[in-house]
Amino acid sequence: MKISFTLNKQAVTIDVEPMKRLLDVLREDFNLLGAKEACGEGECGACTVLLNGEPVTSCILNAAHADGSEIETVEGISQTELGKLIIDCFDETNAVQCGFCFPGFFISSYHYIKTDGEKDLNKIKTALSGNICRCTGYEKIFESVMLACERAN
Amino acid sequence: MKFIKPKDIENLYDTLDTTEQQYLLAGGTDINVQINNGIIRDPNIIYISHLKELSGIEETNNEILIGSTTSFKDVIESRIIKKYFLLMYNSLQNFASPLIQTSATIGGNIANGSPTADVIPILLALNAKLLICSKSNKREVPLKDFFTGYKKNVMKNNELITKIIINKNAEQKYQTYYQKVGSRNSLAIAKVAVAGIKKVVKEKIIDIKLAVGSLNEYPRRLFKVEEYVTGKRLTEIDFEKVEELLNSEITPISDFRSDKEYRYHVCVNLIRTFLNE
Ligand SMILES: Cc1cc2nc3c(=O)[nH]c(=O)nc-3n(C[C@H](O)[C@H](O)[C@H](O)COP(=O)(O)OP(=O)(O)OC[C@H]3O[C@@H](n4cnc5c(N)ncnc54)[C@H](O)[C@@H]3O)c2cc1C
Ligand code: FES
Ligand code: FES
Repeated sequence: MKISFTLNKQAVTIDVEPMKRLLDVLREDFNLLGAKEACGEGECGACTVLLNGEPVTSCILNAAHADGSEIETVEGISQTELGKLIIDCFDETNAVQCGFCFPGFFISSYHYIKTDGEKDLNKIKTALSGNICRCTGYEKIFESVMLACERAN
Repeated sequence: MKFIKPKDIENLYDTLDTTEQQYLLAGGTDINVQINNGIIRDPNIIYISHLKELSGIEETNNEILIGSTTSFKDVIESRIIKKYFLLMYNSLQNFASPLIQTSATIGGNIANGSPTADVIPILLALNAKLLICSKSNKREVPLKDFFTGYKKNVMKNNELITKIIINKNAEQKYQTYYQKVGSRNSLAIAKVAVAGIKKVVKEKIIDIKLAVGSLNEYPRRLFKVEEYVTGKRLTEIDFEKVEELLNSEITPISDFRSDKEYRYHVCVNLIRTFLNE
């Protein structure tokens, strides 16, 4: 099936098996390797991307869901002003160890700051509750996002 | 395996009439996990997420109609839901995670019919109905009559859920209750969930609807308990009797999540808390 969508602000069309996982479409057909696979079941958020501006787990979405939509990945978002600011904050607070979870946390944080952005720990915890980190620990991650909220305002 | 994306709702009904052993694909958060784990093999898929008629929340004179492919995010953010059904608004805040809320749909939660499906006990307490449609037929089925067994329901192969219908006054002037006991906060798959609404006049329970999830093959109303406590003052309720009725009404499922005695006790305690509130 032919599907067309906007990928990191560029119009794209591909011929793809419609049930193919969106994560695989991004990684295999577009060579965008930022979104990662860990659990493959929607539980960990390593595969998070923005679909029409909302963070979703691409491992349990299909190519079909992308048709006609707007998709943004870590590759695109990291080039934005806010994206760069968030990366700096994660960097400064040493919130990234192995980094496997980072693209997911990054996208959930970006979405939170863009749509709300209040420097409120509880709200941040909720916004990041679909993302799991197995090494850094959450305190540092929350700290980075708190800092990013402060700087973005 | 076939994949069909109907061009409009009429085409969807035609497709449902002529396809066999098909699965609808809405948000995909249940079915993709089942496909990836090999629980469903080579399914014929009918995609429905793009059909505008199936999503959104409308208000009529007496009822609120929720389109079946409305996402939980849209349900939680709806002014209408917040205005009329605080029970639903409050209880669904912790549904899965924000990432899943965006994709997961209310119709998918009901149709998938997991014993742990969060929205079902809530809708049972609100006495919701489902609008079930096929090319030649439209029928309203009370949610309490929808399930017939573990992941089994009254829908025919050519039907789908198009709307969830709730009376606007379903919880007006009632006290509401929802409690889910799970293992962790986010992504919690409930071990026991109790949803209820009650009306108490001069300390007497004059009307009550109680529903439980995770205890049985499918979430259900507790009609015997409801009948026993109706008309009684709180002090007249014998909780041993409630326990007995609960026992006769539900057979707890036992799986890896926790043993049945535990679920059973938790359930009785939750009901007691609600009745005492
Ligand atoms: C990480 C994770 C966490 C989760 N957490 C929770 C949770 O906290 N609580 C909870 O209750 N659930 C949870 N779920 C389960 C799931 O997200 C929900 O059940 C969701 O509402 C399913 O909706 P969907 O649109 O994704 O369904 P889909 O996967 O698209 O479909 C599910 C089933 O319903 C059928 N179907 C879909 N729409 C219709 C319709 N309109 N008419 C008839 N049949 C239909 C499909 O054919 C399929 O069999 C979780 C899932 C994941 C992956
Ligand atoms: S890989 Fe998608 S949520 Fe874990
Ligand atoms: S830094 Fe390794 S999983 Fe988070």
